[in-house]
Amino acid sequence: MTASNSVDFQGEPIGRENLLETVAGVKHEGVYLLGIFAIDNGDGSFEIKYFFGPEKNSSTVKALSILASIDFPSISGIMPAAKIYEREIMDMFGLFPLNHPDLKPLMLFPENWDGTVHPLKKDWDKTIPEFKKYGEYPYKKAHGNGVFEIPVGPVHAGIIEPGHFRFSMRGEPVLQLEIRHFWKHRGIEKLCEGKTVSEALKIVSRISGDNSAGISLAYLEASEKILGIEIPIRAKFIRVILAEIERLWNHVRDIGYIFMDMGYTPKAQAMFVLEEDILRLNKFVASHRYMFDALQLGGVASASDIDINKTGAIRGVLKSAGEKLKKAEWYILNSPSVTDRIELAGKINKKTAEELSLCGICARASGLRRDSRIEMPYLLYGETVQVSQKTFEEGDILARTRIRIMEAFESINIIQNLLAWLPESGEDLIPKDCAEGVPVSSGWAIGNTETPRGNAFFYIKTGEDGNIERLKYIDPSFRNWPSIQYGILGGIIADFPLVNKSMNLSYAGNDL
Amino acid sequence: MKIPFTKKNIIEIKTEPAEKFGKDEGAFDIRIKGGELKKTVDKIFGRSLFVRLVDSGSCNACENELSLLASPYYDIERFGIKFVASPRHADILLITGCMTRNMFNPVWNVYNSMPDPKLVITAGDCQGENPYFGESYSIMGPAGKWLPVAMHIKGCPPEPGAIIHSLLELTKKL
Ligand code: SF4
Repeated sequence: MTASNSVDFQGEPIGRENLLETVAGVKHEGVYLLGIFAIDNGDGSFEIKYFFGPEKNSSTVKALSILASIDFPSISGIMPAAKIYEREIMDMFGLFPLNHPDLKPLMLFPENWDGTVHPLKKDWDKTIPEFKKYGEYPYKKAHGNGVFEIPVGPVHAGIIEPGHFRFSMRGEPVLQLEIRHFWKHRGIEKLCEGKTVSEALKIVSRISGDNSAGISLAYLEASEKILGIEIPIRAKFIRVILAEIERLWNHVRDIGYIFMDMGYTPKAQAMFVLEEDILRLNKFVASHRYMFDALQLGGVASASDIDINKTGAIRGVLKSAGEKLKKAEWYILNSPSVTDRIELAGKINKKTAEELSLCGICARASGLRRDSRIEMPYLLYGETVQVSQKTFEEGDILARTRIRIMEAFESINIIQNLLAWLPESGEDLIPKDCAEGVPVSSGWAIGNTETPRGNAFFYIKTGEDGNIERLKYIDPSFRNWPSIQYGILGGIIADFPLVNKSMNLSYAGNDL
Repeated sequence: MKIPFTKKNIIEIKTEPAEKFGKDEGAFDIRIKGGELKKTVDKIFGRSLFVRLVDSGSCNACENELSLLASPYYDIERFGIKFVASPRHADILLITGCMTRNMFNPVWNVYNSMPDPKLVITAGDCQGENPYFGESYSIMGPAGKWLPVAMHIKGCPPEPGAIIHSLLELTKKL
């Protein structure tokens, strides 16, 4: 049992009248919100679970739960990060959050969905409401002399995923930004219900294509705990190598986008060339450019075994990546036109980051030490692989970019070291009992990993037959999207693409 | 100013040296296929074919492949193909992703704002058999149910080379 499984669980659900007090106490200890979600018990009652990240110097995830049948107390007053989770519960289960500051539909749009149908309820008879307009989404309005709105999206100019951004402006500065997402809501949680653990893995690896390995690892973390599978050491090495290659290419691409959006095309293209190189390497190493289906229950697919040829190819790409990133770093730190553009823009204060329970790059750029590889170590992290914690206090685009570059270098280092120490080929890639047929077991577990964007959280509960009863996934983007609404305040609209790209959050993972 | 179409200003199509590792059919293909594609685009569309992409609910790997088409390895603009910001400028509507309920109206709006004549093509298995998300409550099924789809590009995701190849097949038929 790895450390990230250790859940400091209060056992029985606590009384709902004690919830606010308990949450306030937990917050006082300095933990942050990992996620809130509901589970249908099937007898008309619902369990609402609250997960909190570990305290300093501990890897224990805290958990609370309450029972509810019609409504539940909102904790958004204490933890503003809870807002979206509570809205999600209202959509999916029809439970009403009391005293919620900003209650409106989240994933199911009133423009096409009947608000009385809640798809994650067990007693939903699968009848899909007729496609017609049931209501109107209430946007926030800013009033005053000379205030005007700029609605952007859902379809954007360019090759980007859909999302709606509504700016309220007065002159140049942005007064307010409201983000409305979930255009791409695919209903993945419902889809996975009733599937076997390995069937659902295929869906899970396609939640957010560019973080496929990271997200699948979180899923595997959880499901392997339920099934009691011990992963062979060689497979652990390969898993970490794949995850770090993914981190590297994500960072390379995002640095490229930052150059692109500040109008520095030659450097951007250099990064895109490197990105394509790494994607081709992925295809060679894991037989898929985005590593879909490269990981399997219990280990890795035999096609992603790393032999001597692959080691050579990886080393070659890492070398050129190191050189190109060095140049990029030089430009970012030394070219005044670059630093001028991104310094101080898109600032997210530490306090805001704390209140919104941010994770990943966004948290680390705002001075929060959050990295699941360190806080809730999994696979080889924490022992064989030591990750250093890089943080900046500034919280601006420059800080986020610098962290990306540093992490890319670190990933290169990690991969090189692991390649040097990769256990003999010929060792198992999947444990023997797992190769013959996936074991069946019922229970629940959580899994946490650090994807290139931040913490990915899975809660999986399997039934007697071993099939998934409830699957909850929380994407790092889901936590971090609201922060852009604060990062852009007071800035000019032309900063928005840069702020957005400096975080480069996923729409697909967010919308599920 | 009208630039005469002479040998001189035909952009010579270069690709990066073929793969550094493993065998690859892609790189060579792109040079040949791209050249052919350019010829058909020149002839039929007067040297420019504008594509408007709409993501109707993908996992973003399809988008990543499409945006890489503009990177130096492929540089699809040299073949006269450009991804445009406005549907009003587009000849082709390219749809990726599995057409969610929430994206249904936006996709229609884009289609309706495109001037005639227009073509619709789809890319990615999400628009085909959709083995992963097909049964969901919030999926409306492939775009072909509502729109006249001229071609579907297979793959999960279709690789950039395959997209260029398919565009060539499409323009050849016109
Ligand atoms: S076809 Fe595959 S890569 Fe494309 S959006 Fe669908 S799942 Fe993602």
